[in-house]
Amino acid sequence: MTRQFKWDSGIGLLGLLLLFVGSYIGLFVAPSERYMGEVQRIMYVHVPCAWNAMLVYMLAFIFAIISLWTHRPKWDAATTAAAEVGIVLNSLLLVQGSIWARATWGVWWDWDVRLTTSLIMLLLFAGVLALRSFVHDASRRATWTAIATIVAFVDVPLVYFCVRWWRSLHQVQSTPDTVAPMMVVPLRINAFAILFIAIWMMTQRARLELDRRRQDQVSEPERLAPIGGSNNA
Amino acid sequence: MNLIGQALTVVRKDLLLEWRGKGRLISVLMFGVVTLLLFSFAVGPDSTLLRAAAGGFLVLALLLSSTLGLSESFRVEQEQRAIEGLLLLPVDPIALYYGKTLSNTLFLMLLAPVLTPVALILYSVQLDLKGLAVLLGLWTLAAAGLSAPGTLYAAMTSRLQSQDVLLPLLLFPLVIPVLMGAVKSITLILTGDPMSQVGSWAALLASFAIIYWSLCGLLFPHAIEEGI
Amino acid sequence: MPDGVIIGGWNYVIAAYSITAAGLLAYAWSLALRRRKFRTQEEG
Repeated sequence: MTRQFKWDSGIGLLGLLLLFVGSYIGLFVAPSERYMGEVQRIMYVHVPCAWNAMLVYMLAFIFAIISLWTHRPKWDAATTAAAEVGIVLNSLLLVQGSIWARATWGVWWDWDVRLTTSLIMLLLFAGVLALRSFVHDASRRATWTAIATIVAFVDVPLVYFCVRWWRSLHQVQSTPDTVAPMMVVPLRINAFAILFIAIWMMTQRARLELDRRRQDQVSEPERLAPIGGSNNA
Repeated sequence: MNLIGQALTVVRKDLLLEWRGKGRLISVLMFGVVTLLLFSFAVGPDSTLLRAAAGGFLVLALLLSSTLGLSESFRVEQEQRAIEGLLLLPVDPIALYYGKTLSNTLFLMLLAPVLTPVALILYSVQLDLKGLAVLLGLWTLAAAGLSAPGTLYAAMTSRLQSQDVLLPLLLFPLVIPVLMGAVKSITLILTGDPMSQVGSWAALLASFAIIYWSLCGLLFPHAIEEGI
Repeated sequence: MPDGVIIGGWNYVIAAYSITAAGLLAYAWSLALRRRKFRTQEEG
């Protein structure tokens, strides 16, 4: 079985390699930005994390719909894996954003649209996993995880627009034409690097979930085994 | 019986239960009033500060009271396993959801006539009749927005051991748009609205309510298909 | 040099990169541990 699934280790290793290359270019080759100086180099991990966190949450949403539709355990495992990996990337995003805020605005936290939205997003999906951990019945756990994931994901655009209105002040997003080519390269490389690493993490997490579920199904008859054994005797 | 008729039957049943045992409404109301009182102690006796924060405190009192009301609404059904009987009846789960959501919305709306005057007095805010009418409209929209996901999650968590923790944990981050919209618009009503922004916040509250009334209505039958 | 330029700040960059690396590693490690724990349970 492990030999059959070697492809994901390959993707994980590729992601790791790309992360090294992209970060090397971002840290040592790319020029420092005109206004932000060296601090701008945080962007080469920050932006890829942001893109991939959103992408992985969106995958969780899609998997949740399929899981609700088909009731197949593998889609439940995929939903859980995507939600959990999304939370990991989202947490990294928050820490990087906080460091960024400290370096540029002098405070550890700023009620910036994206920073605030990502914090709320983290809480939303952490709630999904919390709910999941309290449900013992496997098929109900799958259904409820899917429902909570859908409900949480639909909230994300609402939260984004709401925070934008709530903060009348919002900063200008960097436009592509002001970015030097040597800044785009590490950004793109790292985007794919984090994507591949996220895929590797999701496959590992999903497999763990499937293994657990299989064990639950196996251990159920085992617990009943003494009754069957006494009948045989 | 059609869907609407069924839903209204559920509402009537809930209101009847509420009327017979007024305990829930009264205790949630008391809770709301106590919260409003506590907020003023947290800020101190500075009346300008209190007036500026009055809208936020009022909406927070609604939000905190709502989790109590919502979790009670399904705990009632769990007692003596009434929910099992309810699910055995030929009631469409969608009708059950909308009935429950509507009665929860009505329940939260009932908090307004008590909490609003208390807040106005405690935080010394002046409000004319027109402002009061707009405030009640906004309160209704907020109540509808809170009830839609709240009813779904209350149903799901009602049999779990840690419902009291889980329901706010799931609901509070989710209803942040409702909280922001209601706080902003009600604060504008209380302190004056020079840019006439209340309309857009009301639109936000309305769209949240519409989105979650439809979405949770679709999801609720799945949530209870294996019983709750 | 234009006004408002941030000078230095390498320590912030280093902090951001190392926290990212540490976070990814920690999660990968936890995945490996959880899978290993599961495997030993299954065998045991």
